[in-house]
Amino acid sequence: MQVTETLSDGLKRGYTVVVEAAEIEQRRSQKFADLGRTLRLPGFRPGKVPLPLVRQRFGREVSAEALQESVNAATSQMLSDRGLRPAGEPRVDLVSDAAAALGGTADVEFTIEMELLPEITLPDFAGLQLTRLTAEVPAEEVDKALGRIAERQAELVEVSETRPAEKGEVLTLDFQGRVEGTAFEGGTGTDMDVEVAGAGFIPGFTEQLVGMQVGETRTLSCAFPDDYQAKAVAGKPAEFEVTAKALKRKVLPPIDDELARKIGFDEGLEELRRVISDSIGREYAQMSRMHLKRQLLDALAGLASFPIPQGLADLEFNQIWRRIEADREAGRLDEADRAKDEASLREEYRAIADRRVRLGLLLSEIGRLNGITVAAEEMTRAMRAEAQRYPGQEAQVMEFFRKTPQAIEGLRGPLFEEKGVDFVIDQVQVSERVVSPEELAKEPESTGAAAG
Amino acid sequence: MSGTKTRRKPVLSRESMYQIIRAPVVTEKATALSERNQVVFRVALEASKPEIKAAVEGLFGVKVLGVNTLVAKGKTKRFKGRPGQRSDVKKAFVRLAEGQSIDLSTGLA
Repeated sequence: MQVTETLSDGLKRGYTVVVEAAEIEQRRSQKFADLGRTLRLPGFRPGKVPLPLVRQRFGREVSAEALQESVNAATSQMLSDRGLRPAGEPRVDLVSDAAAALGGTADVEFTIEMELLPEITLPDFAGLQLTRLTAEVPAEEVDKALGRIAERQAELVEVSETRPAEKGEVLTLDFQGRVEGTAFEGGTGTDMDVEVAGAGFIPGFTEQLVGMQVGETRTLSCAFPDDYQAKAVAGKPAEFEVTAKALKRKVLPPIDDELARKIGFDEGLEELRRVISDSIGREYAQMSRMHLKRQLLDALAGLASFPIPQGLADLEFNQIWRRIEADREAGRLDEADRAKDEASLREEYRAIADRRVRLGLLLSEIGRLNGITVAAEEMTRAMRAEAQRYPGQEAQVMEFFRKTPQAIEGLRGPLFEEKGVDFVIDQVQVSERVVSPEELAKEPESTGAAAG
Repeated sequence: MSGTKTRRKPVLSRESMYQIIRAPVVTEKATALSERNQVVFRVALEASKPEIKAAVEGLFGVKVLGVNTLVAKGKTKRFKGRPGQRSDVKKAFVRLAEGQSIDLSTGLA
């Protein structure tokens, strides 16, 4: 095997490799012998087919296979001999005539083109300063959540006196609707509880109930919205003849131990408060982590100054760009993006792609040097979490993962990234700062999403 | 043998040659025989040795020294109790002149 370097430009490398005919021939003979030992042909005892006949029958297939193997072996041997770490698959092109190469008489020449992974010197993390934003769970938030729970537990109590209905009260109605003078499907109902000036009906319906008394009959006119689900009446004006039969008023239960017990918290109000506050706290913690991660990635992007393989960046960019194109087709583009012209949009996303590749390489290098791996049980946990996002179909999702290993690999990336980020965060100086929940919820201002 | 010693060589059309020589026999035994300058064909049941000789010489352009033939009788088989008969097969072992061979893999033009 002879190797000559033809290109060495930045991270790009090109080589021409010549493999001697004898080397390929040896591999080929080996293959024929192997094949002959087990071959079954009618007219011959198994494994007793004479070699010349095997060559005659299977010469072409075996030669192609032997050639392929020789090329692959030569490529990987060259890579390991020179200690090269390619980014992505090296591109291999056969230079010599394919027919001659298959014939096995001539030496085989081929070229290898690839991009190398850059030499990454890990930056000194110890100097990094990050701030972890945290927020206390304010008591008002918990109270608000309690209020919402009480609302859902509200009871309806009939009002005995006859008086006009007020906003927020509930009327029991019989109604009959007409569009253009004729009754339509689903337009009539009896004994319906309707909240006065509440939501959930076609616009204008509930508002016109204000002031109605029990026993009163009114004719309401309102229009169906254009996007109403029943196509027959969508966008048309309608009249409803409404009779009020009873007036009820909502009574909110007091927020106390009894309410808590009613919805399953046996220890009472204290427990309910704690659970609510914990769940809000978890949300805050998640946001806080996102902030911290974003800060870290921003800092790392500043530190990572190594060149990146163009091929990887192109790959990433094309992926982003395809999504952008699809969004544009569907008219789902961001306000900000829509204003920009094609060129500057491309520029912007190319920068994001570069950043992602750079951070991805850096994190994987950090992982490699520090022995970070994703354990099998972590993968399983991630798969379960993913499956739970599709309630009722968990079994199918797990089945899907079992059948398609590539899909599992897709989960490995983010996990690996998280672990890498955790590892770095452990090493840097993190100071804490307490902020208001509103500030925590604010989107971090820097552009560019996470690596990966 | 007395009397007419003038054995006439059969004259065959190309088409009848194809009808006499049906297929090569590719088996362990046949390939082993090829080392001893013999090739094996399946031939038409009614073909005679002189015809086979003429056909092989005509189709493959070789010199034939001799032809041995055999008829492998078809087995009697039963299908749903009814007796049936497989076809008989005639094989010809053709000895070629020293140094000649027939490449069976390339087929006939």
